[in-house]
Amino acid sequence: MSEPEPLGITAEGVSFGYPGRPVLRGVDLRIEPAQLVAMIGLNGCGKSTLLRLFAGLLRPEGGRVLVGGRDVAELSRREAARRVALLHQAAPQVPGMTVRQLVRQGRYAARGPLGMLREGDDAVSRRALRDVGVEDWADRPVDALSGGERQRVRLAMALAQDTRVLLLDEPTTYLDLRHQLDVLQTVVRLREERGLTVVMVLHDLAHAARFAERLIALRDGRVVADGPPQTVVTPELLAGALDVAGRVGRDPEGGWPVCYPDHPLPIEK
Amino acid sequence: MKPRTGMRLVLLALLALLCAVADLLAGPALSPSGVWEVLTGGGGTVERHLVLQLRLPRLLVALGAGAALGVAGLVLQFALRNPLAGPEVTGVTPGAVLGAVTASGLGLAGWESPAAVTTAACLGGFAGAGLLWLLAGLSRGDAATTAVYGVLVSAVLGGLTAMMLTAAPGQLGSVVQWLIGTTEGRVWEHWHFLWPWTLLWIVLAGLLAGPLTLLRCGDEQASAAGLAPGPARGAALVCSVALTAGAVSAVGALGFVGLLVPHLALAVFGADLRVALPGAALTGAVVVCGADAAAQLLSRALADLLDSDRLTLPVGALTTCVGAALLLLVVRRRPGETH
Repeated sequence: MSEPEPLGITAEGVSFGYPGRPVLRGVDLRIEPAQLVAMIGLNGCGKSTLLRLFAGLLRPEGGRVLVGGRDVAELSRREAARRVALLHQAAPQVPGMTVRQLVRQGRYAARGPLGMLREGDDAVSRRALRDVGVEDWADRPVDALSGGERQRVRLAMALAQDTRVLLLDEPTTYLDLRHQLDVLQTVVRLREERGLTVVMVLHDLAHAARFAERLIALRDGRVVADGPPQTVVTPELLAGALDVAGRVGRDPEGGWPVCYPDHPLPIEK
Repeated sequence: MKPRTGMRLVLLALLALLCAVADLLAGPALSPSGVWEVLTGGGGTVERHLVLQLRLPRLLVALGAGAALGVAGLVLQFALRNPLAGPEVTGVTPGAVLGAVTASGLGLAGWESPAAVTTAACLGGFAGAGLLWLLAGLSRGDAATTAVYGVLVSAVLGGLTAMMLTAAPGQLGSVVQWLIGTTEGRVWEHWHFLWPWTLLWIVLAGLLAGPLTLLRCGDEQASAAGLAPGPARGAALVCSVALTAGAVSAVGALGFVGLLVPHLALAVFGADLRVALPGAALTGAVVVCGADAAAQLLSRALADLLDSDRLTLPVGALTTCVGAALLLLVVRRRPGETH
């Protein structure tokens, strides 16, 4: 299995855009090793793009992204995938593939193209199946699972990459509340057990405030708020980052911030 | 490998043997006992020639071409993540036919020079796939859109082939065989080229099993897991075109084999390519060889019925008719599953 050293992520003046549409305009961030970070922001604010840049799937137009001190855009696809795992928001169907087969695909970067020809799954894939609690249905076809079950399996595929950094792009979208909590608690537990560095894009501010130790808000390709949820989640954040008027209270038991969104703000032109 | 899948491979191999025997016996003008006599070392000169120089190479070519088409189709469907992809409907087969016809029309190649025909068919196959790529974007569009563009490309290439035929009518007789697909008159020369070519590319396709399986999970997941999708897909396409071109130059455009054999293979062996690839090769061999035997028997029956001994039913006509019916089943069985 991999080296125990947790990896941090540094973004230095990262900018990125598509023709005629700048997405990120100079983002400077330092994600500490073993930190659990949630990113929030409006649709199209650049949070998913930032995750892809962290994973080395996109090359920044300006600036650079360092993962554990190495420029991730300079790494080969396989080297990058050994450092960073990214769970995408959606995935196509995989007719005929079993849970075990899909999770084993996460081992590609570690084993190489011909390694996939070997029979059996190694200890890491088995551990990944256990991590998300799906070892009992390892031989069921993926496409026959419910949305929540499939998301756990896809999380297991990312965990099978055995990286020190785990990026999650809206891991709870399309899931019912029970499965949302299930996925988030699994992530929290794994991060505590293994010291993973976790950055997740979340739409649900309640989840972000509850589970993350640090919250980063993006707006129009820039970081507009960054800090522990206790201090960052304010009515000003709701208005400034999410275009929503609302109030913020405290959870009576746990003390984390709780949002009461009231109405959308008019769009400024 | 689970014992059950191993068992299925063995059963399929036995079925291939059965089809081979049937194909050997199915031809006209020689009784089964006559064939047996030749195989055990007896028989007259004519009988020996008939079995050893005509029927045996024909049967082997049918097996080899079937295997090549089965694997070509499976690789294509995995690489494009499209169950409606097949060499016939992605411009590869019609391109290969155009290449073969053009080369022989220009006098650069002929039936008797399989290597030259295969080279021309390869070039044509790449041109066909390239044309589809330009039009549809091989991986971007959804399965149905790509299929529609594929039909369009195939029609254009078929039209060009027809123009070649009109321009060089002298070649018509032998060239028409490429259009329908037939095993008539295949000799040892074809087999000697076909088997190493097919084996080489099937082995290379096997080496791509890991990347192909990962490509099936979608480009985004594949690249997040450490695979660069573009080069992997390109390598798979090269394999698929080369296998198709080999088969086309040996037996012509056998309709629907490359499109449907993968569905049979996946239904029997599941999505694990380590088993499904050899499975598709065996299934393709069984299908083409079995169809060839059936076509010969039908030809004899029709000849008796119509009292005309010149009538022969090409195997391609049979696979196209049966394939069309099977394709309807495939499309109806999985209306939503286009990815």
